[in-house]
Amino acid sequence: MKVTLNWLKQYVEFDWTPEQLAERLTMLGLEVEGLQKLGGEFQGVVVAQVITRDKHPNADKLSLCRVQDGKGERQIVCGAHNFKAGDKVPLILPGATLPAKPGEAPVTIKVGKIRGCESQGMLCSPQELGLEGGKEGLLILREDAQVGQAFAEYLGRGESDVVLDLEITPNRPDLNSVIGIAREIAAVTGNRLKMPEVGDQRSEVRGQRSDTVLVRLEEPELCPRYTARLIRGVKIAPSPAWLATMLEKIGVRSINNVVDVTNYVMLETGQPLHAFDCQLLARGNHGLPTVVVRRAAEGEKFITLDGQERTLTSRMLLIADESKAVALAGVMGGHNSEINLNTGEVLLESAYFNPQNVRATSKKLDLRSESSYRFERGADIGLCAWASSRAVDLICQTAGGAPAGPLVEAYPSPAQPKQIPLRHTKVNELLGLELSPEQIEAYLAQLELKVVNRKPRPVEAAPGPIEPVTIRIPTFRVDLKREIDLVEEVARLYGVERIPASAPRGALGLNDFDAVHDQIAEARALLAGLGLDEAQGQTLISEAAAQLVAGAEVVALANPLSSDMNVLRPSLLPGLLDALRHNLNHKNYDVALFELGRVFLPPAAGQGTGAGPAGGARPLEERRVAIALTGRRHPLFWTGEEREARFDIYDLKGLLEEFLERFGVRGVTYNRRSEGTPLLLESALVQLGRLPLGSLGQLQPSIARRYDLRDAVLLAELNLDILLARRNSAKTFRAVPVLPPIRRDVAMLVPEATTHEAVLQVVRQAKPANLESVELFDIFRGKNMPAGQKSMAYAFTYRSAERTLTDAEATSAHEKLVEQFKQKLQATVRE
Amino acid sequence: MSLLDEIEPLKAAALAELRAAPDIAALEQAKGQWLGAHGKFTALLKQLSALPKEDKPAAGKALNAAKLELEAALSQCRADVELKAALPQEPTDFTLPGRRRVLGSLHPLTQVTEDIVRSFRKLGFAVADGPEVEDEYHCFDALNTPADHPARDTQDTFYLRSPGGAAPLLLRTHTSSVQIRVMEKQRPPVRILVPGRVYRRDNADATHNPAFHQVEGLYVDHDVTVGDLKGTVEFVFKELMGPETRIRFRPHYFSYTEPSFEIDFSSSLTRKMGKEWLEIAGCGMVHPQVFENVGYDPEAWTGWAFGFGIERIAMIRYGINDIRLFYENDIRFLGQF
Repeated sequence: MKVTLNWLKQYVEFDWTPEQLAERLTMLGLEVEGLQKLGGEFQGVVVAQVITRDKHPNADKLSLCRVQDGKGERQIVCGAHNFKAGDKVPLILPGATLPAKPGEAPVTIKVGKIRGCESQGMLCSPQELGLEGGKEGLLILREDAQVGQAFAEYLGRGESDVVLDLEITPNRPDLNSVIGIAREIAAVTGNRLKMPEVGDQRSEVRGQRSDTVLVRLEEPELCPRYTARLIRGVKIAPSPAWLATMLEKIGVRSINNVVDVTNYVMLETGQPLHAFDCQLLARGNHGLPTVVVRRAAEGEKFITLDGQERTLTSRMLLIADESKAVALAGVMGGHNSEINLNTGEVLLESAYFNPQNVRATSKKLDLRSESSYRFERGADIGLCAWASSRAVDLICQTAGGAPAGPLVEAYPSPAQPKQIPLRHTKVNELLGLELSPEQIEAYLAQLELKVVNRKPRPVEAAPGPIEPVTIRIPTFRVDLKREIDLVEEVARLYGVERIPASAPRGALGLNDFDAVHDQIAEARALLAGLGLDEAQGQTLISEAAAQLVAGAEVVALANPLSSDMNVLRPSLLPGLLDALRHNLNHKNYDVALFELGRVFLPPAAGQGTGAGPAGGARPLEERRVAIALTGRRHPLFWTGEEREARFDIYDLKGLLEEFLERFGVRGVTYNRRSEGTPLLLESALVQLGRLPLGSLGQLQPSIARRYDLRDAVLLAELNLDILLARRNSAKTFRAVPVLPPIRRDVAMLVPEATTHEAVLQVVRQAKPANLESVELFDIFRGKNMPAGQKSMAYAFTYRSAERTLTDAEATSAHEKLVEQFKQKLQATVRE
Repeated sequence: MSLLDEIEPLKAAALAELRAAPDIAALEQAKGQWLGAHGKFTALLKQLSALPKEDKPAAGKALNAAKLELEAALSQCRADVELKAALPQEPTDFTLPGRRRVLGSLHPLTQVTEDIVRSFRKLGFAVADGPEVEDEYHCFDALNTPADHPARDTQDTFYLRSPGGAAPLLLRTHTSSVQIRVMEKQRPPVRILVPGRVYRRDNADATHNPAFHQVEGLYVDHDVTVGDLKGTVEFVFKELMGPETRIRFRPHYFSYTEPSFEIDFSSSLTRKMGKEWLEIAGCGMVHPQVFENVGYDPEAWTGWAFGFGIERIAMIRYGINDIRLFYENDIRFLGQF
């Protein structure tokens, strides 16, 4: 909502500077988003009249003009084509400066020769003057412009003014009006709100018909109040300067006197008005113009003021005459009854339309107007008649004519002012203040919120608890519904900045998730400590990317912004692939990332312990941890050692092992999948007991190519919810061994298919006495070995906690173990 | 030549040879030559027993002194040679880069979230969590958002594709939905903090991403006042943005709080951005209707809630000018935090 300082001052006195006003309004809840000072502009720009226009002797596209500037004639060279001799245009005189364009230096006009002809000034386009409008062509002024008048004066900007741009919250439709804002200022200053005098109210006629107009209200629910007023003998003409200027200052285009008045009164009071050309309305049986408020027929066509044909539904409300629709109620008038230069009789509508219905219509047709904006937020049902009279006064003043008959009104059940009980104690309890009942009521009274039911208190009555009072709510305050809303009003007027802040105190917070939050943070810290950077991927990804990991089963959006973001991620891996691609495209070739985040799975396909509530058709939300590695394993080092070493699957596995062990998850197994997956060339299912945790593997080369990835890409993703549920981070002390260990090494040839796990299994079954640890220290394949065999070398450490082992004891245990290797693994022990 | 006379020249020769040894091997060899079982000095010692009884004390004393001297010299030489051997051939260039062990870094949004969590926890808040896929009840209705409120438009909110007839599901537009879920399950007092992802149907640009993060604080107790809200907000923002931070409350409108306020802050950060006050959060006293919706008695309990965007805090704090940087995961960006 835009409003000017001078306009506000018509309704309330205050002596603040514009900056102080902006500050006060902001602190009242009307945030001032912009403040623009007007006046003092257009120095050296005057209204001039073109006397002759001839072609420039040396240039086809230029013309050579003689113009009258009020003091004398000048020769001007001009490049515009939209004017003729006799037009009045703005002329900037030599020595004056055009308003600077943003980011450019201002241009000062000089007398100079253009293609050999002297130009003593310049005729201006709206853009050159910094006004609304095009850069093609001159600004053609009204015919009644006075030649020689300062241009600023012509615009009515002779006096200085300040335009304030306010953000009005949707709960306060009453503030979408100058009077509404002035009322707030009046409340703060204690000064009187000066409402304009309205001459002819004559609203005593509460019938639906006068001897000039008939109103037939068919939909009182969608239109609880409708008023119409006929004015005869108007003459449509440009608005007087004061009116046109006031509208233009706040960015509303001036159209003609009658339309401008309706706009002006809407901005002034917040009540949208519509003016019909009454001669274009069909007469009904009584020979009177009849206004019918009815629903549209399903599929009814209607051309709105903007020339667009609209197809309506039966939920939409129309203003019609006996034969045709003439306005889309509360949204926009019709093309067929618009005020035009021949209009002599004006029918003025001032009504209250149901906010939900106006919103629905406006949304359905994608048609928004200043009027629909106000109605859908809630207009003041009590204001219709007053605003109508105000507009009638101004129309008669600016367009001549006189009201024909009184206000005709359909208002079947007049709104009763709301009443809200208020306990003074509640105000203080909630705000943390100690205001007296008198103070509280005084603040409310300043906002026209008055106590209606105070019982006189006997003077001799003993002081007791303060009785609650009832507050009467004026119709313009549609936002005030219950006691708490009155508390807010007191807070606003008292000033939030004056409420003292109290030191934090009170109950300790408790929530089951609190500990989980820390565990997740711990997982993050471990992974960062392992050298991985934390990534955050998009939740919304493309269906194509999702299907790399999830097949067809994904959670899709009903109203995506684009096909790049049309499903919820079923995995963190597509996001990490996007991150790898971004990095490689920016020449960051060595990338090691992790992400902890939620994925979304369709209810049937979900598994594990989702974060979301169970049951229903709700998607499962599951926390995951994922890792992606590509490029070099080590940062560049100047000795060149391992310079070209790239991440491989064992880097990834080592990260997982270290992370899981540190996080307190034991007993994880890695089971190779015999087949590749759509995403992974070779991969293992990671399991905790029988519970699937996730996967690790190497990305399919075809997908790597699609993501512009060159080196091997290693990916892992695990279900974090399971890790959180199954982790055991309890720590118990075990005595540090003090007795000496005995180490025995074994190198053995085994068939290629023998896994490390198979070796460990033999060890676990054999249970050698005093075995402390097993370490694999070499795997070797070579020419000197039988085909299909590999050598695996293990170090076994034997130690007893109670006594020093003898060589013989260790050897005996070890030899039994080696025998098992030979039997169960077909191992040949290399001596 | 008597034994006594032989001692000095032999000792001198031995010393010279020991001192001349260039490395440990040569030194060991020299030691063997003189002091070893068949060494020249050892041979001299062996002659002692052959001397007449009266000469023995003097010769013995002299030999012993010489032997001690040689042994001392030997250990000195050994230390010298070892030291020489330990030193690298060329002096170390301590300006060369070392072999770096790289630590990963936590995402800046994680770091800011953790800072926020830490400051709230000092006041006794517990972290809570809830689903990102929500129903209209928890995201809007229970929060007193009117049925025709523009926030519910498919223009502004992502809805999930759902089989016909099912109640629509959506991506939560704010973390306030978790307020409702927690209050439904928990009797007051409540003191929680909810960080998490939220979604608005905005095309990505420098200041928008369809997914972003919010944090929401909720406190419900007996006798909670606007003053308490101010006290907590001031504490938290001073913790987050520095002790010289100033806070301003402006009346505003949210459907689920009454009175409602917007919070502006002012610090050297805002002045660097050319503004005295910068809007940073919304807050207010929990609307009695919201309490009624979750079965709390608004006469017995009062409370406040406030919420703000984590990206916005991170952008202001670090001077980041484009929200998309948070989701591109460029390692040159991530590594800065």
